[in-house]
Amino acid sequence: MAELAVLRTAVEAGERTVIGGQHLLAGSFVALALVFAAIAGATGDTFFFRLATEALIFAGLALSVDLLLGYTGLLSLGQALFFGFGAYVSGLVLKHVAPSFWAAVGITLAATLVVGLVAGIIAIRARGVYFALITFGLAQVAFKVVFNSRGIGGSDGIIGIPQIKVEFGLFAVDAQSPAGFFLVTLAFMMLLYGTCAYLMHTPFGRMLMAIRTNESRVPFLGFSPWRAKLAAFVIAAVVAALSGSLYPMLRGLVSPELLAFQTSGNAVIMVVIGGVGTLVGALYGSVVLTVLKSVIGTFTEHHLIIIGGLFMLSVIFFPKGLAGYARPRLERWLARRTERA
Amino acid sequence: MSEVIETLQFVYAPQVVNGLAIGVAVILMALGLTIIFGLLDVINMAHGEFYALGAYLGITLVAKGASFWLCLALVPVVMAAIGYLGERSLIQRVFHSKDRHILTLLLTFGLAIIAEDAFKLVYGPNPYKPESPIPGASELLGITLPNYRLFLIVAGAAIIVAVWLAVYRTSLGAMVRAAAFDSQMASSLGVPVEKVYAGTFAFGVALAGLSGVLLAPIYSVFPTMGKDFILLAFSVVIVGGMGSIKGAVIAGLVLTQVQSISSLYISPVWSDPLVFGIMVLFLMVRPQGLAGRLGHG
Repeated sequence: MAELAVLRTAVEAGERTVIGGQHLLAGSFVALALVFAAIAGATGDTFFFRLATEALIFAGLALSVDLLLGYTGLLSLGQALFFGFGAYVSGLVLKHVAPSFWAAVGITLAATLVVGLVAGIIAIRARGVYFALITFGLAQVAFKVVFNSRGIGGSDGIIGIPQIKVEFGLFAVDAQSPAGFFLVTLAFMMLLYGTCAYLMHTPFGRMLMAIRTNESRVPFLGFSPWRAKLAAFVIAAVVAALSGSLYPMLRGLVSPELLAFQTSGNAVIMVVIGGVGTLVGALYGSVVLTVLKSVIGTFTEHHLIIIGGLFMLSVIFFPKGLAGYARPRLERWLARRTERA
Repeated sequence: MSEVIETLQFVYAPQVVNGLAIGVAVILMALGLTIIFGLLDVINMAHGEFYALGAYLGITLVAKGASFWLCLALVPVVMAAIGYLGERSLIQRVFHSKDRHILTLLLTFGLAIIAEDAFKLVYGPNPYKPESPIPGASELLGITLPNYRLFLIVAGAAIIVAVWLAVYRTSLGAMVRAAAFDSQMASSLGVPVEKVYAGTFAFGVALAGLSGVLLAPIYSVFPTMGKDFILLAFSVVIVGGMGSIKGAVIAGLVLTQVQSISSLYISPVWSDPLVFGIMVLFLMVRPQGLAGRLGHG
């Protein structure tokens, strides 16, 4: 019994430092974002605020890819399907139903639960590389259908989406205000991140990690991997769609490119650069990719060669990504600090 | 009765022949993909870019004064060398890790991004339209068909048969199948598995390059040409069964006919979703595809 208690304390201490490392990374992310907002706000900038808001929105998409890849071991090559779906639903609601933030987000959430469930039942029948290919195929079908449907704007997408105010009861934030909407998006994304991070530390999250490690053994322990995978798929779909639902509020338009393979591929790049299986890495990855694109983009229009090269280098030499590299070091630092205290 | 025959002759027959011309080209692409998957377990996301590279090498050589026929012989050799080096320097780096399926997929995906942008950098974004090496048309059963398409069908069919013979009727092919069935056992019997892996990858890449050269006179050559074509090739590989040569041939013929004939009834823009829909359906109901994997019967 004594050994068991020792073991338990050791495991719990280890988990605390893991969570501590992750909290530290997430906290620094928010701090960096706020520092950026203070500087950009003081200089009265618009362009970089919009760019940073877009990076945050795509970070949500990357988060959903990491939820599937890093925790459940399912590589989705079609996560843009849900991102684009959320953007389209939100755009249509804002334009034709009510120009309200909460209506757009609420209807997107409800619609994605249905669509995610249907797509999930189709997709999780496939394992391994077949899952990657089936999500790729589903997203391509959706992209071609949207691209050729005149009713929702076809290849032009939806334009002229009304500008809205985000109502918070006591006060309202104008989505047109660069700083205001940046802070709203930051809060929204950290809420999504926090929910995902919390879920991964529940028994459900442990189950997903068990599936990633060895799916065939899970049924022997008396659990259904099918149900857990379906739940993970639907949650990831919701995260992607809710992120997408903010896009039309920022840009005032929705285009079919949001559903294209490029969008899904970018999200995978963000996750790999940021660190697979860390969640917080997806946020950093999105910021890194957006910064890289705009910095290299000022020198050459062929920025994809450099981004592709960095991506390949990081797959070969740096497979744990930024957060995967930083986290264990932060944990050791935290552990040393608690020892001293 | 004569009306039915006329419809068949003038409406369906040209579509069937056009479908066949695209079909053999897609099968060449799909064979490369499926052999690489069957042996190495690698989903080559850069296969479409290798196809584009073949086409670009072809137009470069023609611009330097080489004839189309010389290109047809030379490009696969160059592509094979590129494929061999690519396998040794990139795929092998992550091949022995636990997540090799996902890592090799990501690696080839990165390669595809770089290649597409490199084409834009070197050749510009505008399409090239090479001259047809066999101009003119001939009349067959009362319908006029471009000579080059007829040549493409015959040459493509010959290459497909040659690939089949190489895999199933030569000792080299037997080594490949043995390595696909059980690489450790094959290795202990003296098959140089590492070289077989690299050689097979090179072979698949050469096939992609060859179909690039063959198709360039029909479709134009442009940086994203691989991306548009690879989806069809992936659908063929999945419906046929990943790693199956027979399946790829059957699925290639059927899917391109579906695409070709359905475009008589629905707008061609909807034929892509139709083919992808069939692919998704297969992944749901019969993920192993029509036929068995390379080296497994």
